[in-house]
Amino acid sequence: MNRTKAKLVLDGITHAFTDGEKERTILDGLSLEVGEGELVAVTGPSGSGKSTFLSIAGALLSPDGGEVRIDGQPLSGMDAMRLAQLRLGKLGFIFQSANLIPYLKVEEQLLLVARLAGMPRAEAAARSRELLERLGLGGRRKAYPERLSGGEKQRAAIARAWMNGPEVILADEPTASLDAPRGADVMEMLRAEVKARSKAGVVVTHDERVLSFCDRVLVLDAGRLKPA
Amino acid sequence: MFLALREMRHSKLRYALMAAILILVSFLVLFVTGLAKGLSYANASSVVNMPADAFLLSADAEHRLARSELAAPQAERIRELAGEGKSEALGVRMAAVEVDGAGKADAAVLAVDPEGWLAPPVVEGAALAPGDTGKALADAQLKAAGARIGGVLTDTASGRSWEIVGFAQDESLSHTPALFVSPAEWAELARPVRGGAASGGGEPAGSAPYNAIALQGDAQRLEAIAAELPDTALLSKRQVIEAIPGYSAEQGSLSMMIAFLYVISAFVLAVFFYVMTLQKLGQFGILKAIGAGTGYLARSVAGQVLLLAAASLAASLLLIAGFRAVLPASLPFRLDEMTLLATCGLFLATSAAGSLVSIVKVARADALEAIGRTTA
Ligand SMILES: Nc1ncnc2c1ncn2[C@@H]1O[C@H](COP(=O)(O)OP(=O)(O)OP(=O)(O)O)[C@@H](O)[C@H]1O
Ligand SMILES: [Mg+2]
Repeated sequence: MNRTKAKLVLDGITHAFTDGEKERTILDGLSLEVGEGELVAVTGPSGSGKSTFLSIAGALLSPDGGEVRIDGQPLSGMDAMRLAQLRLGKLGFIFQSANLIPYLKVEEQLLLVARLAGMPRAEAAARSRELLERLGLGGRRKAYPERLSGGEKQRAAIARAWMNGPEVILADEPTASLDAPRGADVMEMLRAEVKARSKAGVVVTHDERVLSFCDRVLVLDAGRLKPA
Repeated sequence: MFLALREMRHSKLRYALMAAILILVSFLVLFVTGLAKGLSYANASSVVNMPADAFLLSADAEHRLARSELAAPQAERIRELAGEGKSEALGVRMAAVEVDGAGKADAAVLAVDPEGWLAPPVVEGAALAPGDTGKALADAQLKAAGARIGGVLTDTASGRSWEIVGFAQDESLSHTPALFVSPAEWAELARPVRGGAASGGGEPAGSAPYNAIALQGDAQRLEAIAAELPDTALLSKRQVIEAIPGYSAEQGSLSMMIAFLYVISAFVLAVFFYVMTLQKLGQFGILKAIGAGTGYLARSVAGQVLLLAAASLAASLLLIAGFRAVLPASLPFRLDEMTLLATCGLFLATSAAGSLVSIVKVARADALEAIGRTTA
């Protein structure tokens, strides 16, 4: 692990949810560093806080304590606007179910995030074409999500996550809705992208088959990440 | 607008149905507004068309032209205070007339100086002269009752007869066509009937009491004049029109309808977009998670609302234009550009207001929803 080139750093993260009256600490001093070209798997029992961890790493939820740094930039003190900008430019999300926008064609899903980030039109068109081609969706560019298979949806989501060239990619159970060969496909693509472009990747998963694609496997247990 | 337009493209039927409702409502808004304006004009066009800045009525008249009476000396004093050409006396009397000794018609007899600025433009025939007695200038609506140039109208109350010298257009009071007479004739009318001896001697013309004095000039000067005359009330044209019997009631009920239509359109839009927004909260969460700002999403929703409202408005404007072409002349309908612009503006504004609840909801949509959920 290359500590100087860490793309994603979580340092002593604590987070608690108040459930009615009693407070439940979900994350308790969690630390993690993910370097360039590294793909990390995070597993753990249901309810252990994996999604909570990912939300914090993805600047969607601010932790009660600790510091998150993305590409060297600390998140503490950023307002909602700057956080949204950061998610747009530096982070790529892949959710459990693909979470595509139903009324946008595959290509437009990519063009939307490019527009939001202010990428020039011609560049966005070229880049979306190239990404979709690479993910085997070249022929499905004009299809609505409702016409796509589960695997195609997930690949479209990956393409969208890569669109703005993020430094860190975060995936929450990306293979949960896919059969084994499709799941392997998706993971292979994720891995290839992370390696080829020296990005950092975190995959939260329950799926044993995913682990072999990752460089490190960590288990979330008692609010901390431990090697498996 | 990237999102707004693509969503509308994807759910054409949904948005088309909504647009259809908006077209109907905005058409109704425009139609009733035109009707209200038309009725208002048909009711009081003679006063509306007077180029007066204000009117002086007697203080006890409760703004009613017909109840007001300004005696000759008072009228003379106002004339002196106002200055040359700044005041015009106005006599008003409702009458029933016999047309050429046959059919009957209602008319509003208006006495104005034919050479002054209250005199209506003549559209057919000749104008009156100040000294003319036994002659009148009629509103063209009286033609429907048989009036024609050279024909004779007889006042059933006073027995006086007037030969029609010409016609004016769009001159009515209390939905009754106007009949303009000269000050000399007004004096004859006011004279108590004395055994048929109508002419010769007696008071000079202009000495009869008038109902009101119309004034021109700036507000300060007009108030200074009114202050000199304790028994008078200075009223704006609007105040005088609103006190015409039936006017306020008529306009009031139409205004009520219009107001309700605005509320309905805002409400229909609000509910439609609110329901749509509720359905899409998950999507808004995803959009926020991948980096779309609240402002961008709010603009997208507001853009859809305004686009839908504007397109519907454009369609109903076309409908109104077509409708106007086939409208029977008896239906009073008036929609000038100013009213049209104001109505369209107000409609768009209420539509925008209707989108507010949705925008608040969008602003509250949580990006966190996107992670750890199985469905969008
Ligand atoms: N907004 C919230 N308010 C209160 N409690 C919450 C909230 N979000 C999550 N929790 C609780 O925090 C704990 C961790 O939730 P989280 O979603 O991170 O688990 P997870 O590890 O992703 O589980 P799974 O594998 O089932 O997706 C759970 O017990 C959950 O009930
Ligand atoms: Mg989870």
